[in-house]
Amino acid sequence: MEFFILLSAGLANGGYYALIALGLVLIFKAQDMVQFGHGEVFMVGAFTAYTVFAVVGWPYLVAFIAAVLAATVVGMIVERWLIRPIAHMPHMTLVMVTVGLSFCLKGAARIEWGKDIYTFPSVFKSGPIVIGEVVLMPQQLVLVAFTLSLSVVLYLMFKYTALGKQMKATSQNMTGAQLSGVNIGRVFSSTWAMSGALGGAAGALSAPVLSLLFPDIGTFILLKGFAAAVLGGFGSIVGAVVGGFAVGVMEKFVGFYISTSLEHISAFVIIMLVLIFWPKGLFGTKDVTRV
Amino acid sequence: MRISAFFEARWFPALFLLFLLVIPLTTNNYFQFVINLVLCYVLIGFGQQLILGYAGQFSFANAAFMGIGAYTTSIIFTLNVPILIALMAGGLLAALVACLVGLPALRLSRVYLALATIAFGEMTTWILTHWNSVTKGGDGMYSPVPVFFGYSLDTDTERYFLIAIVCFVMVMIAQRMLASKFGRAFIAIRENEMVASCNGINIPLYKTIAFALSGFYAGVGGGLYAIAVNYIVPDNYDLFQLVIHFALVMVGGLGSMYGVIVGALVLTTLPEVLRDFQHYQEMLYGVLLIVFIVFIPRGVAGFLKDWKILPREILVHGWREEIPHVREAAKTAAVFNVGAGAEDRGAEH
Repeated sequence: MEFFILLSAGLANGGYYALIALGLVLIFKAQDMVQFGHGEVFMVGAFTAYTVFAVVGWPYLVAFIAAVLAATVVGMIVERWLIRPIAHMPHMTLVMVTVGLSFCLKGAARIEWGKDIYTFPSVFKSGPIVIGEVVLMPQQLVLVAFTLSLSVVLYLMFKYTALGKQMKATSQNMTGAQLSGVNIGRVFSSTWAMSGALGGAAGALSAPVLSLLFPDIGTFILLKGFAAAVLGGFGSIVGAVVGGFAVGVMEKFVGFYISTSLEHISAFVIIMLVLIFWPKGLFGTKDVTRV
Repeated sequence: MRISAFFEARWFPALFLLFLLVIPLTTNNYFQFVINLVLCYVLIGFGQQLILGYAGQFSFANAAFMGIGAYTTSIIFTLNVPILIALMAGGLLAALVACLVGLPALRLSRVYLALATIAFGEMTTWILTHWNSVTKGGDGMYSPVPVFFGYSLDTDTERYFLIAIVCFVMVMIAQRMLASKFGRAFIAIRENEMVASCNGINIPLYKTIAFALSGFYAGVGGGLYAIAVNYIVPDNYDLFQLVIHFALVMVGGLGSMYGVIVGALVLTTLPEVLRDFQHYQEMLYGVLLIVFIVFIPRGVAGFLKDWKILPREILVHGWREEIPHVREAAKTAAVFNVGAGAEDRGAEH
């Protein structure tokens, strides 16, 4: 039953694609911009976890928390000192700034880690879990469970809490939200903090699954996240999660049934095809075409 | 006489050509190599300037076009085709691909175009790395020594003449073209698409032309680059190459022809000067990009124009500065939405 093996492997990968996509979608929802530096936030999380877990040798839980904190702080600093002063500027400026930011972070990581590849030791000492012919690593299960529970939390937050509603209001009309007493600075700060936390969590959780870390990992991860977010219709929480799992599964199927080498570019093909032929994606509501 | 009048004089192109031809007399081998790179980057930067600075399309694909040009030129040239035809072929193939990449631009709003083109760029790098039979894979390939009418161009100085002449001709063509209705149409599309179409500009046609021209310049520039460095690897045409292009256009000045030349000079010589700090190169480009786009959006050329050293370029001011007191209003209302990318903000809300 290769079908189920592929399905489970795909879903496991999809877990962190979905986390990345969620981070992107959050910022898109609040600020109407795409964060091209998100891959580097992931990298910050992954390398923090690596340093704490593999170099210092503290328990994995501590490494996870440290990674989430580090990425959150990066997200908040970027928002407060870089993005907020220019939030009124055209899209192109904002996006270009995040592109520049991504290379700054990558360059900073390069100073310490160079161009080498680092291996992340496995976290759980127990062997893989075997159900029928499907073999799952405990780490993959943790990752998928974390993604699913977090997306439920986020969905509920946007639906029921004041902060979620304020985020929605801010993205629809910044001045209007301000007039109704929304502290938009706080909204932006918390959005970027949450997005950073998601990126950091994705980094810490998927580093043992990927097992190979290098400073360039951000670009690769970012594009997978884009594919997931675009497939789900940019701007939808549910879409990002479903898109993430769908991209993960599709990759595995393309890799097995068509050609192994196509596995890596299927994400790019998905982005292009979806944007050209079906720009709304699975759950998109926003009109992405021109007026 | 103002200095800017000098650049506007009728005889200036002739003088500039003479200047280009005299340069090799004053250089040593290494310096000549750097000058060659500067000229290649003038063309490549021109491709980026056309699509980003003039037509206002947020395309991430120019590094890929450059790669396509470099590989096509080198591969065709190994088949004993004259070098100029090989360069043309590289440019034309890149232009053709650019037309196809431009198709989504006819429908998608800017951020989505960026996503589609970045995916295309990564895919091109991947294809260049994995199409072993043609591109020799990730190890890269030596680009053959160019032969120009039976005369083989072995040294950098000899190559310089080929590069300089191709570059000069193409810059002249570009200058003429941007002063014509094409240039005005591109700028109109950048400033406001709806107004442009109300003024009878065929938007799909001109956008496609902008993509094709941009691809052509990047392709020919890439071909010359392959000749100049003699060795091509797929990794050279990834996102980092694109950031160099962005930084080049930003540092020079968005929407300025002179800006491309200034940017190419600065960004090609800077890494050579800072050779000891190679680890910091990525950070350098990132910081340059951020600083220039936030604080100095008109780039170095903007200063030079204010000081009347460079002549003003009609209709081409880069991003316009918003007046502070209308900034708040501009966030929600469609008034004063000027500058590239501005109308998205108004339209989506």
